[in-house]
This record gives sequence, C-alpha cells and structure tokens, in this order.
Amino acid sequence: MCGIAGIMLKDSSDFKTGEALVNMLNGCQHRGPDSTGFALYGDSQKNTLKLRLLVGQGEIGVAAIAQIKKTLKENDASIIEDEHIGETYRATVNYSGDIQKFSYALEHAAKVVSIGNSLDIIKDVGSAEDVDASYDIRKYKGSHGLGHVRLATESDVKPEAAHPFWATGFADVAIVHNGQITNYWKMRRRLEQRDYEFRTDNDSELIAVYLADKLSQGIKLKEALKTSIEDLDGTFSFLVSTEDEIGYAKDHLAVKPMVMYETEDMVAIASEEVSLNKLFPGQALNTKEPPPGTYNTWSRSI
Amino acid sequence: MVTIDLGKTSVREGNEKIRQCGKNGEDVEVVNPDARHHIGVGLVHPITVKVKGSAGYFCAGLSDAANFEVESNVGWGVGDNMYSGSVVVGGNAGAIPGVAIRGAEIVIRGNMGSRAGQVMKAGTLCCEGNANFMAGYMMYGGRIIILGDSGEKVGEDMSAGEIFVAGKVEDLGSDAELTDIDSAEIDEVMKFLDRYKIPFKGSFQKVVNAGKKLRYATSEQQMRSIPFFSFSGASDYWNPKIQEDLYIKSQIGRYRIRGYGGARPLPHFSDIAFKKDLSLAGGDADVVSKIKMRTEIGGINGAEPLKLSMPVMIAPMSYGALSASTKRAIGLASTLSDIAENTGEGGMSDAQRGAAKQLIFQMLGGRLGWNIHDMNRADGLEIYISQGAKPGLGGQLMAKKVTPELAKIRGIPAGIDLRSPSRHPDILGADDLVIKVEELREATGYRLPVSIKLGAGRVRDDIKIAVKDGFDFIELDGMQGSTGAGSAEVIDYVGIPTLPAIIEALNALEEIGRRDDIQIVLMGGIRDGVDAVKALCLGADAVALGTSTIIAGGCIACMQCHVGQCVTGIATQDPEHEKRYDPEVESQNIHRFLESVRWQIATIANELGYNDVTQFSRDDLVALTPEAAAMTGLPYDPQYGDADLDIKVRAAV
Repeated sequence: MCGIAGIMLKDSSDFKTGEALVNMLNGCQHRGPDSTGFALYGDSQKNTLKLRLLVGQGEIGVAAIAQIKKTLKENDASIIEDEHIGETYRATVNYSGDIQKFSYALEHAAKVVSIGNSLDIIKDVGSAEDVDASYDIRKYKGSHGLGHVRLATESDVKPEAAHPFWATGFADVAIVHNGQITNYWKMRRRLEQRDYEFRTDNDSELIAVYLADKLSQGIKLKEALKTSIEDLDGTFSFLVSTEDEIGYAKDHLAVKPMVMYETEDMVAIASEEVSLNKLFPGQALNTKEPPPGTYNTWSRSI
Repeated sequence: MVTIDLGKTSVREGNEKIRQCGKNGEDVEVVNPDARHHIGVGLVHPITVKVKGSAGYFCAGLSDAANFEVESNVGWGVGDNMYSGSVVVGGNAGAIPGVAIRGAEIVIRGNMGSRAGQVMKAGTLCCEGNANFMAGYMMYGGRIIILGDSGEKVGEDMSAGEIFVAGKVEDLGSDAELTDIDSAEIDEVMKFLDRYKIPFKGSFQKVVNAGKKLRYATSEQQMRSIPFFSFSGASDYWNPKIQEDLYIKSQIGRYRIRGYGGARPLPHFSDIAFKKDLSLAGGDADVVSKIKMRTEIGGINGAEPLKLSMPVMIAPMSYGALSASTKRAIGLASTLSDIAENTGEGGMSDAQRGAAKQLIFQMLGGRLGWNIHDMNRADGLEIYISQGAKPGLGGQLMAKKVTPELAKIRGIPAGIDLRSPSRHPDILGADDLVIKVEELREATGYRLPVSIKLGAGRVRDDIKIAVKDGFDFIELDGMQGSTGAGSAEVIDYVGIPTLPAIIEALNALEEIGRRDDIQIVLMGGIRDGVDAVKALCLGADAVALGTSTIIAGGCIACMQCHVGQCVTGIATQDPEHEKRYDPEVESQNIHRFLESVRWQIATIANELGYNDVTQFSRDDLVALTPEAAAMTGLPYDPQYGDADLDIKVRAAV
C-alpha cells in the first residue's frame, strides 16, 4: 500500500542521492501520505559502524540515549560522534565484533532502525518534505539509496512502522516493499528456528532478513532474489540494497506497479513514472515495466 | 490552440480549462505534464489535446469524442473507459492501456504494459511494439492489434473480441485459442494501420475465446426449492435446506447457484432488543412530523450530498438481476418517499434515471455500463469492492438474463453466463484506489459524493482504507445481504454478519480517531424500521434496504432469481414474465412499505424521548443472546426477550 523508489549511480559516490530520493518520493506521495523513509548509503570505514535508533524526543529520548550508551560501553563500542535528531539517536562508533549479537543487545536499549558500515536509514511520519525538514535528507550524498512512502492500513502510523526496513542483524541490508507476503508466519518461523530475531510483525522486515540470511550463506544477491520469488507467497514489488548493490524482485502476479529507467551510468526504479520524471523534469524517458516473476541487480563500480 | 502549463497550474485547474476549451471548440496543448495523473479526464466534447511529454495514470480516461496525442509515455490505464475518440502515445504505455474502452482507438507507438485492454468492450487498441503479459485479459469485445510479440498468456479469460498478433504468440491464456483469419479482417486491420500511418508488412495470427470455460455445458434449470421464508431448522448440518441443496447438486452436477441471502441462522437484529418497553408505542398518529428525520449523506468533503427524507436509502440492485419494470417501480418509490436509489452493477438506463429523483451510479470491476455521460447525470458515484452475500466474488448473471438489450448497455456479448470480475483492473490496493477516486472526482468536477461499497470481510482494515482514501461515505454490507445469483456455499458460509460488521467498522474509526470523517450506511438483511433503528442505535448514519423493498413489491422469495423465469416478473428479462409486474402498482406498494419504515423509526424515536434520529444511542439496546452480546459489546440481558418483546414491538409500531 505504498510507493517505492530506488536509485544507483554506477560510477559516482558523491551523487546527491538524498535530494534525488526526496524528489522522487515527492512525485508519488499520493501513494502514501502517512510516513516516509530513506535508506542512504555513504562513505564507509573499516570497523566503523553507523547506528540509528528510535529514542523519541526530549526527556524520554535523553533517558533512552543513556541506556544506549551503557549498552555500547558493555559491547566495547566507542562513540566517535553522535547526535540526538528528531525521533532518533544517530552515532558513529568503533566496533569490530559480531554485528548480529551487537544489534540484538542494542534492541534491549532502544528500537534499532539501522546498523551499517555505509547504511543509514531515516524514517518518520509525514511527507518526504517533512522528513527532509527534520533530518536534512537532501544533504546526503553517495552512490545509491532507497525511498518509500507509506499508506498505513494494517498497522499504526508511527516511525517504526515506516519503511525502509533494515535486515535486523545484518549490516547494510535494507528493503522497501509494496505488497503483501501471505506466507509471512511460515517463513518467519523458519527463520526464527535458525535464531534470527524479528523486531516487527511487518512482512517487509521478513523479506530483508530472508535475503540477508541468503547473503550470509555466501549466496549472491541476484540468486537470493530469484529464490525469494519462489519462496515468498503473495503479491509484491520490492527493492533491496546492500553496500554495493541494488536489486528488485516482482512476484508472478505482478499487480504491484514498478517502472524503471536505466542508462549506462544509472538505474532508477519507482512505483510510478511520475517519480522518474522528477529526476529529469521535462524530458521524455524510455522507461520499462519489469515483467512478472523477474528480478535483477546492479552493482556500483567504485 | 490554448496552452496549459502543468508546471504552473494544478491538474484540477488544468482539467477544468481543458473541459472549457472542449465546450468552446478550442484545441489544447499541455506543457510540462511530467507524468501527472488524470490529464484530460472526463471530456465529452470533440477536442484535440496534445500532451508535450509524459502523462501519468488514466490519461484521456472517462472521455468521449476527444483526440489525444501524447508525445512520450503514459502510465496505467491510458484511455480508461473511453467511448469514442482516440489516443496516440508516442512512447510506451504502462499497465492496462485501453482498459474498459467502449469504442475508442488507442495507438501505442512503443511497447505496452501488462493486461492491455482488460475488460474492453469495443474499439481498437494497437501497439507497435511488444505487449506485456495478459493482453486482452477478460476482454468482452473489440480488437487488439499487437505488431510485436504478444507477451505471456495473451487472451487470458477473454469472452469475445479479437487479438491480432504480428510477432510471436508467446503463450496463450486460459480459454484462448488461435483461429483462422479471413482476408476481410486483415483488410480492416491494414486500413486501421494506414489511418494511423503505421508502416507494416507482415502477417498476423488471431487469438479468440475458445468458449470452453465461461459457458456451462448444462443450462441452469429451475428447481423446486424451499422458499427462503421457510425455516431451515436449527441444525447446521442435516436440515431440509441442506437436503435440498444436495438434491439440486445431484441434478446439475456442480455447485448450486441461487438467489437470495444466507439460509443459515446467524445472530441478527432480532437478537438485540430495546431496553425500554415499547410494546405500548404507536398511539401518536402525528409522530412523523415531530421527529427530525432528514439526513444528508455524502457531503462531508464538500460534494453535493444526497438529501434523504429519512436515514434510509435503497440498496444497490442491478437492472439485469431485476427487470426494467422492477427497477422502475423501486425508482418511483424512492422518489415518492424522497430517498435515494442505486443502479447496482450494469449501468443506468434512461428509465431508471427518469424514475429516481436521486440515483447513485455504481462502478464495478467489469465496468459494465460505466460511462462518463451517466456519471454526469448521477447524484452519487459508488465504487463497488464487494457485497455481503458473496464478499470477494464478482456478480453473476446467467445467460438467460443476458438479453440483447441488456448486453448492449453493458457492452458484452448477449447470451453469455456473465461472471463479473471479482476485482478492478486498476484497484489492486489502497494506493491505487486513491488514484481511482481522484479520477472519478476529476472527471465530474468534484461535484458528486463518492462512496465505497464493502462486503463485510476484513472490515477493520477496509474501513480505515476507505477513510484514508477520502471517500464520502461507506455502504457496508453484512453477510445477511442478498444477491440475484451466487454460489450457495458462499452465500451461506462466507462473510461477516451485519451486527459485528458495523461494530468492527466503528471500532476501526475509533482507533484512528476519524469517526467524523466518514459516514456509514449499513445494509445486509435490514427488514424494517425496527431493524433500521437498531442499526442507527449501534452507530450507522443511515441504512439501505434491498430485499425488503423487493418483497414489498411482490417477491415470493422462491430463491430462483438466477434462473431468469421469475414468476412475479421481478428477477427476469423475459417480456412474457415481466408482463406480470405492474410498476405503477408495485411502486405504490414499495412506497407504502417505505412509509411504514418511516413511521416505525419516528415512533420508536418518539417513545425513546428523542426528536431527532441522530439521538439514537447504543445505550438504548441490550443483547438477548451471548453471541449477539459478544459481537456487539451490548450488555447481555436475556430477560428483555422473555415476553418476546421484539415481536410485540413490531406489532405495536
């Protein structure tokens, strides 16, 4: 019940991805006026993690941050720089241990939005412009990113129910999704049997963890997308991103819209062409509609 | 040539200007369209519109006689429901190009998206490039020309029409087959291509309906069934109606289709009662004038509301399921009682429009009879998602009732067993629904209330979606609602009863704090004014009556509505049978029944100490059974039913 967007510049790492995604989502805000979110990939350094957690504003936030700092200390993560912004606490930390254990530990302190070497997920209630006003999305630069506008139907309008979803426990894997997974509980139980923990009941988180699990087994993203179409029941169009790749998958019924525009340097995918047009105002684009049951990935070259 | 810059004006203002230009006979150029939705919808005058760039969803939709040229690409549903005129798209088209067209010509220079020409009835859709999957899905007529490859499942579940493919026929859809082409047909195709200056040398393959799936081998036969009124017994397994069901299956060899609602006992309005003893009510002959009953429905977002003389309207029932005479009688009765009538599925006839002062026009997934001219003369527009009797399924109209006249209004071949699609081509989620609602509003200048008809299923979520998508009111239909034809299993066993449906709806609105942002019209087995008041007490803004009006107009409830041989002339299209029905007499009967409903509502209001129908409260009610208490949250107090008070109340008022 949403609009999705994704963009990748194949050989640029300082493209204004934030601005591009804000514009794309502006174009399809009618598909989801409730909340908006971004998965943005920036510079990465070894053993340096970007964390973002939902803490709330004011006193409540301050208390939660104290709890987070305690947990960071217990896990030998040292803060390089941090910030209490909007509903979230953002920090860059030195950490070299197991990310899955680290993220589950942090969950006891506050709701983790994302953890990554390169990834930063920012999501909140309101429009793309609202979220940009609170979090300065337009300043973000990088090679690729995802965006999502949400029309809340089955759950509440709150920041944690917004997309993108991080693959809980796996650095740098994010997903945006339009549709529904009908074998959600079956797939979730399967993954839980392997000790993965879920933070929401949202089917988008399931897709993220499903793919991240495959990646952790050394399976290529493209192959994981292929199996996802067979393993997941329902109707869906989703975009996934990792530190170096972006990809899509579409179910066999393909009732959820998706259009893409690709050149030698870039690929942009969105629910509607109106989002793609926002990237190239006034230009006529040669767009494509991915056929049902298909998937693809693109990698950045630098 | 008038230039409209969508970089500077909104689509709404732009569309108003384009419509004005159409009236004035001026052509229009749209610059900076940037793939915005609904460009040029609702045009009914000859006009040329040039779109300098890409258009979004439903470009040229719901128009008649306009010619469009789009320089680049279009989004979903280009030319949606066009009656005549043309669209030439310079680039590619998204999904469902030419959806539901009734005679227009649409040319896509590039490739076209999936489900091209879904539920189209007439006209030509031509694609110079490749089609994506399921071109011609559920088409009822017309012609699709694909110069490239067909895509997968071409002609899936088509009922009629032709698909010409010059490239590869990748994969035939269910119930589609290849057939021979005669040279006259090829000439016609070539003429079309010449007219649009499409160079082509090559040959075609032709895909048509194979006729194996949509028609029954055995025609529906009349059964001696137990009338709906006959109680089936408390047992949910071996009771007379179950036996009857098995007997009928033994004759026809498949699931049974029948008319009417569920024959299974379910908690309903008789399971809740008024706290106050109303058994002595009804003494005041002047009561109707003392109670404020006028109710406006649909005006909360600024549209012109339906103005009802009481919180009651007619439930949607189609011309098709019912005879023209019956629809006329109901329409006349609605006018006499000053309430609103509803077309149901299948279009609006002049007779219906003439009979009913206030008429809601319903849009279903098959877009049968849906068009801009009737939208413009309607008093409300309604998007049907499902109905209480068979939630999740489309309508069924058996071949006997699909007469040439009816087929013409609906734009379908005469004599097919019509199974309406269970979902809309362009509403596959709440997000698409927003865009569709906007299209209807754009096409009619935001004048009419737009409602959503929901069969009670996933009520909590559906109601929230309805509010978010900006509907003016909801027609919520519980499981006790009836139908002209449906599978008996579904009628009896699928859905949510009317009582819990309204409660779940209200809870959903409570959860999101939006109770005042939408109105609810409850239906589904509401028999009279007593039931109506109970529904209003529970929280409905108004109720809709269907079956009860039919019965008031002479129906004997034999449950054979689907057969088409209705002995009372109600559920038939056979002129010999219809003769038995006198619309002038029956309209008076239905009117008198509606006035009895008014009397009951007023009397109960008066007795409860109110002077306005908005004062009814759930505190006026108790539940007589644990089930009804659980469903409604009303206090369980069976002693209010001790003296069969409910029956007494009915007798008194």
